[in-house]
Amino acid sequence: MPGEGPGSNTHKWLELAVPLLSFGGALVAILSFTQGLPLDFRYPALGCVLASFVLAYLAWIRPKKDIVALTTPIYSLIFFIVPTEYMSGIILQLLYATSLTILVVRLKYRFGRPGMALSGGKELAEPLRTYVEQTRDVWTGISPEAAHHATVAFVRFAEGEFGETAQRSGTAAGQPDDVGNTPCLTRAFMIVSEHATLMDQSLSRPATYRTFLPEDSGMLAKPLLPAQDDDGGFYTTLDNALLLLFSAAWNASGEDRPHLLTCQAFAQKLLIGK
Amino acid sequence: MKIGNIDVKVSIVAIAVFVVFTILLVAASVYSMDVRSQLIWLVPGLFMLLVIPMALNYMSRSQYAELKPIYEAEAKTVRVKLINENMVGKIVRVEGVVERVYFQFLNRPQYLVADRSGEISVKMFTSPDEDVKVNDVVEVLGQVIRRYIVTGDPVVNCVSIRKIKKE
Repeated sequence: MPGEGPGSNTHKWLELAVPLLSFGGALVAILSFTQGLPLDFRYPALGCVLASFVLAYLAWIRPKKDIVALTTPIYSLIFFIVPTEYMSGIILQLLYATSLTILVVRLKYRFGRPGMALSGGKELAEPLRTYVEQTRDVWTGISPEAAHHATVAFVRFAEGEFGETAQRSGTAAGQPDDVGNTPCLTRAFMIVSEHATLMDQSLSRPATYRTFLPEDSGMLAKPLLPAQDDDGGFYTTLDNALLLLFSAAWNASGEDRPHLLTCQAFAQKLLIGK
Repeated sequence: MKIGNIDVKVSIVAIAVFVVFTILLVAASVYSMDVRSQLIWLVPGLFMLLVIPMALNYMSRSQYAELKPIYEAEAKTVRVKLINENMVGKIVRVEGVVERVYFQFLNRPQYLVADRSGEISVKMFTSPDEDVKVNDVVEVLGQVIRRYIVTGDPVVNCVSIRKIKKE
């Protein structure tokens, strides 16, 4: 599952660091006040400043950005850079630490899991990587041209260029010799071409449409469920076809991988979405 | 209020500001001779608090009305799930159910529209033609943008949102 890798422990510690740093700073300020130690208010306030930066980092690494959390470092500097009376400074720190704690909880539950810019990464993330690796051996016989067609079809579809996707997929589907012993790739091209044509013309689902054959089922990312209605089956077929093109392109055309990585978030969405 | 074909709507916030400043001006002019002598400037200034938001609303709504046929011609109907960051700049048509409505009182409504494949934020920078509420089935026309212009998840910058009949 995304977000449950080795990095997720670090994220948990960082989430915990926000209240610890901010309230810790306030605690130091209270202790120095009660013990009568002369300490500039801005030193313990560093806890809140650091906690703000940690919070902003946690907000930044989520695909869905929280602008409130992202701007907290600015507020921390505005609030704590100016010298203030010690007692009011402690109250300000306590209120600020409470706000940061509420914001980190809000971030955790309303802005999803951390997932640093999938499209900007250099590797495939789970669960897409597992699917692509599982289907790797199937693509040994396809030509570089067919793999490149798959890349272009997938990328153009992700970009919403449905007319070009239809045309490119149709061309690729008409060259069965290029796909070696994987006729399911031809079927994937045909399915994508059909869907892209319908979408380009904003047409609704036809009564009959292209599907994969039962023998392709082992290569499909998302099984067709018996309980699925026609709409569900229609769109799952498209998801499977697009993911097959992605896998073929990734495994058979190394040069095209940077282009595929720019669409990784879309591929992940197809794989884990409804 | 209708100007030409455009139904101009002033937000409740603008009306509240106008009312508050009217009360303040009336109170101040009762107690202060200096304020009374400046009423020739203050009263038009007060009305500008209503006129400026109305003018802005008229301009934005007339601009959106001009864009609507262009968007209707260019938009591709897509499911919510297919909208992704690679589609930024594309004009899309989305059909779905309104799950949440935010900031309607500011005349800058933001809707959470869902279809069977997922949900997406639909932002509108002016008041819509129709009063759209939660659970309404709608058709949205708009452009895919990033939530914070250069970063953030893809959202739809809405030019038109209209209720459609439930099938």
